[in-house]
Amino acid sequence: MTAITDAGEAAIPRAAAGNTRATLRRNFWRGVWRVMRRKPSRMAGVVIIAVFAAMGAFGPLLYPAHLPRDNSALYAPPSWTHPFGTDFEGTDVLALVVTGARYVLLAGLATAIITVALGTSIGLFAGFRRGRWDTLLMRITDMNLAIPGLPLLLVLSTVWKFTSPLEMGLVLGLLGWGGVARAVRSQTLSLRERGFIEAARGLGLPTTHIIGRELLPGMAPYIAMNMLIAVTGAVYAQVGLFFLGVLPFDANNWGVMLNFAVFNGGALTTPAALPYLLAPLLAILLLTLGIVLLIDAMDEIFNPRLREE
Amino acid sequence: MTLAIRSRPPGGAAVRRGRLPGGAVARRVAGHLVRGLVMVWVVATISFVIIREIPGDPVAGQYESLIQKGMSPEQAERAAAVLYGFLPTGSLWEQYVGYMGSLLHLDLGQSLSTPGVPVTTLIGAAARWTVLPVLAGTLLSFLLGVVMGVYAAIKRSGRLGDVLALSGSLLHGVPVYVIGLLLTAIFATLWPIMPSGGPVEIEAVPGLNPGYVGSLAHHAVLPVVTYTLASYGGWILAMKSNVVAVLGDDFILAAELRGLRRGVVFRYLARNAILPLFTVLALSIGMLFGGSIFIEEIFNYPGLGLLLVNSISTRDYALMGGTFLVITVGIVVANIAADLLYTAIDPRVRSGGSA
Repeated sequence: MTAITDAGEAAIPRAAAGNTRATLRRNFWRGVWRVMRRKPSRMAGVVIIAVFAAMGAFGPLLYPAHLPRDNSALYAPPSWTHPFGTDFEGTDVLALVVTGARYVLLAGLATAIITVALGTSIGLFAGFRRGRWDTLLMRITDMNLAIPGLPLLLVLSTVWKFTSPLEMGLVLGLLGWGGVARAVRSQTLSLRERGFIEAARGLGLPTTHIIGRELLPGMAPYIAMNMLIAVTGAVYAQVGLFFLGVLPFDANNWGVMLNFAVFNGGALTTPAALPYLLAPLLAILLLTLGIVLLIDAMDEIFNPRLREE
Repeated sequence: MTLAIRSRPPGGAAVRRGRLPGGAVARRVAGHLVRGLVMVWVVATISFVIIREIPGDPVAGQYESLIQKGMSPEQAERAAAVLYGFLPTGSLWEQYVGYMGSLLHLDLGQSLSTPGVPVTTLIGAAARWTVLPVLAGTLLSFLLGVVMGVYAAIKRSGRLGDVLALSGSLLHGVPVYVIGLLLTAIFATLWPIMPSGGPVEIEAVPGLNPGYVGSLAHHAVLPVVTYTLASYGGWILAMKSNVVAVLGDDFILAAELRGLRRGVVFRYLARNAILPLFTVLALSIGMLFGGSIFIEEIFNYPGLGLLLVNSISTRDYALMGGTFLVITVGIVVANIAADLLYTAIDPRVRSGGSA
């Protein structure tokens, strides 16, 4: 659908000299800059994502390993020292959100990598080979798509305690590759009929070359977008699992905060605990907003037809 | 998800259409049924394996403890079989066959946390608290999303279009529980005009009296609105892209050139843009069933999702397996129904290739 338009570009530079490629790249970045500048909201998206990335990378370094408690200030209202108030132990809520980001984002990243790697390779293989392999793989994909993810996760959590972020990422990734595989397959099916792929096949180029050098570059932006979507999906799924309280609470995490706020803190009945509930919700909302804006920008960068309206 | 939703109906139907002359619909239905049954079988197998593989093997544990209480092995075997739907002894294969056999008789075993009550009874009682709000939410969000989607498409270069599209993307992106928690925080905690949980006021006397029905409706508002908002984003995005695609079609241009009234053009537009949405319907229903777990947990609504979560926290494995199975069957059935509806409505699929 979107984003395949520069597949042609990817094929051209092969014949051309290195400096044509450099010019193309410069033009590309100039285009990116233009798209970004046209709507300030897109800049905001980039900034939001950058802030979250920094939070995940450096957040825990900003605070001591054990966040200080203050028994004299349980559920303190928002103030300058505690912008989002404190929790039931008197710990600063903002500090909890910032330090909790690493787990959430790390698991999200791990999930996205597994989802995209699995989905892309399965989709490419099925679309490129077609025939029996395609049928088999697509049946498995359908199954993967149709089994409801969250109930299955809940049931799995009784057998398998996926507590570390990487383990969590592995489980979520294994459950979630179906959508990417389907999308990549249909993209492959449409690309493989194009002239430049047929030419490559006619030239007798090896399959690895055709897939790695001709197909993938055209699909890269598309895959990148799917990756972003997979990150958000994974963030929601794990925060949700912790919120439901079916996983052991080892780490500080936005979902754990939500769980405590709702089921122990009484945030849905007493306004005092409300900031403790709203802070992680706000973090999730902001993350979503950032990713939505970023996807909007990517859409236009990789799909030039959208630029003129 | 945003990308998947934008795609046209699955290509398989389009390809098959050409080959099958008459019995296309019948074959489509049969194909769906077979695929649905395979799904259910896979999920039943998963739930069997999980109940068996749970650390400490609860079925065997139950059997041992009954024997220690002085039951004979046969009695203990029968008691455990009643609880879990399969015999705790014998080879894995025999246990599996036993489990599948009892599923065929719609016997899901008995609940452990509320002793003596069949799992099917508990699930039956919970199902309506899930199905009704899901249906209401699907309908409402469909109406809202379709209307807003047309607006978003027509005004797509203006500010209104931007705002509508952004609202769609955001709501489509935000997880269900964030919507639910925010709504509760606003309307039950900060500005308490809505009840914060439960399906009905405790004092209300069950029956068809205005107090009870009113209380039911009052308590259903926030859950239903949450369901609606959760799937509204998918509808508006899909409708917008469909309308934009149809707007570029020749027959719309031709209709405008022929000077047809705006209303007629609009009808052409809507009819052609709405059809592909029935594939979104399947997605949307599946999402709502999945989201029902969060919504019921937040609003303390006694549906299937809450039953599943409670069965996990009380380690009621028979109930857990049964609920998981029923939720899956619900989604499979909803997907098949959505697809059949699509077949029934879209003349191109219905006529099986003669079009």
